[in-house]
Amino acid sequence: MTSRGLRGAAPGIVSITVVSGTGMVAVLATSVGLMPLYGRPEPSLDGWRAAAPDLVAGIGESLLIAVPATVLAAVVGLGLAMLMLGGGRAVSVVRVACLAVLAVPHLVGATSVSLLLGDGGVAARLATPVTSGTWPALVGGPWPVATVLELAWKESAFVALVVLAAVAPGHRARMEVAAGLGARGWQRVTRVLVPTAVPAVGAASLVTLVYAIGSYEVAWLLGRAVPEPLPVLAFRLFGSIELTDRPAAAAAAVTGAALAVCVTLPALAALPRLRSLSARGSS
Amino acid sequence: MRRSTRAAAYVLALVWLCVPLLPVIVWAGAERWSFPDVLPQAWGLAGWRDAGSAGLPLALLRSLGLGLAVSAVATPLGVMTGRVLGWRLTRRPIVVVGLLLVPLVLPPFAVAMGLDVVLIRIGLPELVSVVLLLAVVAIPYTAYTSATGFARTSPELEAQARALGATRRQARLRVVLPAMRGSILVAALLAFLVGWSDYVVTLLVGGGQLVTAPVLLGSAASGSGNDAMVAAMALATLLPPVLLVSAAAGLRWREPVAPENTVTMPESERMR
Repeated sequence: MTSRGLRGAAPGIVSITVVSGTGMVAVLATSVGLMPLYGRPEPSLDGWRAAAPDLVAGIGESLLIAVPATVLAAVVGLGLAMLMLGGGRAVSVVRVACLAVLAVPHLVGATSVSLLLGDGGVAARLATPVTSGTWPALVGGPWPVATVLELAWKESAFVALVVLAAVAPGHRARMEVAAGLGARGWQRVTRVLVPTAVPAVGAASLVTLVYAIGSYEVAWLLGRAVPEPLPVLAFRLFGSIELTDRPAAAAAAVTGAALAVCVTLPALAALPRLRSLSARGSS
Repeated sequence: MRRSTRAAAYVLALVWLCVPLLPVIVWAGAERWSFPDVLPQAWGLAGWRDAGSAGLPLALLRSLGLGLAVSAVATPLGVMTGRVLGWRLTRRPIVVVGLLLVPLVLPPFAVAMGLDVVLIRIGLPELVSVVLLLAVVAIPYTAYTSATGFARTSPELEAQARALGATRRQARLRVVLPAMRGSILVAALLAFLVGWSDYVVTLLVGGGQLVTAPVLLGSAASGSGNDAMVAAMALATLLPPVLLVSAAAGLRWREPVAPENTVTMPESERMR
C-alpha cells in the first residue's frame, strides 16, 4: 500500500481493526477465563465444557435457519430482479417496494411476521374457514418456519437490488445480441441472464448467509425455545444472573463468529466477482 | 413473457414484498380485534396512546440521535476509504477490501460481548461505545457506496482544481465533494439506518440504559401481549427509514447519470 493510500484509508480500517479486533480478542479471552468480570484471571475451559452440548445444537439450529433462508432469498431475489429487468410500467413500483423492505428493521419485520403467522394471527384468521381454527405452530414451533420466512423476505429484496445493479448495465444489449444469434426467450434467460447474474447472486447470498448466522432478534422473537441458535444462546447466557455463565456465553459468541468465518472464506474463494474486485489494478 | 403471465408475476412479487407488513398496519389502527374475525371489530388509536405512555416519543428521539451520530462518524470515515478504493490509490486494495469485510462477517453480538467487558474496565460511557461500535458496523456500507461514486468520478477533477490554484482542502471540499453528493447522501443514509435499526448492540453495550425505538419494541413484542401497542411501536419505527429511503431513491433517479468511462487519467498516474 502506498503511503498516500494508507493515509486516506487509515482512519476507517484502523477503527475497524481496533474495535473488531479488541472485541474478538476480549470475547475469546472471556471464554477461556482470562477476562472474568470479577476476580483473578485463571485459564480454564469450563465455559466451553459447560456450553458444549448447547453449542453443537446451536450450530445445527443456526444452519437450519440460515441455509434455507439464504436459498429462498436467493431464488426469490433473482426472480424479482428478472422481473424488474424485463421492464414495464410496474417496474418502479416493485423497485420502490424492494427499497422499502430493505429499509425495514428486522425487528419490525419479525414483529409483523409474528402478527401474520402466529397463533391467532392474520393468516390463521383467513384460514379459519378451511382449518376450523387449528393452525400450525409456525412461530415458536418445532421448525423455524417464521424465522426463515422473515429472513428470506427481507433479504430477497437485498438480493434483488444487488442483482439488478450488477446486471442492468448492458442487459438490453446482451438480450438483443442473444436474440440476433437465434436464442429463444427461455434460452436467453438460462444461457445469458442467469449466468450473468450468478456472481451477484452468489455475493449477495453470502452476505445473507453470514447475516442470518449472526442475526439475533428474528430468531429470538419467532424461533422455538429449544434448541437456540448461537446468537440467542449467547445472549441468554450473557444476561444470566450467574456470572459463571459469562465464559459459556463468550464460547457461544466465539462459535458463532467462527461459523461465519468458516462459511465466508471458502465462499470468497469461489466468488470470481469479489476476487476481481480485490485484484491488483483491475478496473 | 405473455402479458397475463407478467401481470401475475408482478402481483405475486408485490404480495411477497408487501403482505408481511400488513398486520402491523392494520393492528396499529385496531381498537378491538378478536379471533377469528378477519378485520377489527373496532378501529381506534388505543395502541398509539399505550405506546405513547410506554415512552415511544422519547425512544424515537433517541433512535434519531443514535442514527445521526452513527452517520456522522461512519460517513466521513467511509468516504475517505471509498476514495482510496474508487480511485485505486493503493496498490493493494485487497487489504482494504478484506478489512472492510470484517464487520460484515463477524456477528455484531460477538464483538459487542467482547467489547462490553473491555468498556466496563476502561469506563467509556455506554452511548459513546454504542456509537463507536455501530459506526464500525456501518463503515463497510459507507465505504463501498462512496467507492462506487468515486469510481464514476474522474480523479482529474481534483487535479484540475489544484492546477487552477485551489489548495488540496479546497479542491476536495469545493470540487470533489459536491460532485460526489449523491453517493455521500446514500452512504450517510445507510449509516443512519444501521444506527436507527440496531437492537442487539444497543441492548448489549447500552446495558438497557439506552432505550431506543427498537429496544422498546423488542421489550413490548416479547411480553406485553398488547398487539395494538406493539403494532403502533413497530409502525412508528418502520416509517422514518422507509420514507427516507424512498425520498433518497426519488432524488437519485432524478439526478443525471454520468456517462460511462469518464475516467481518463492514465493507469500509471492513478496508481500513486
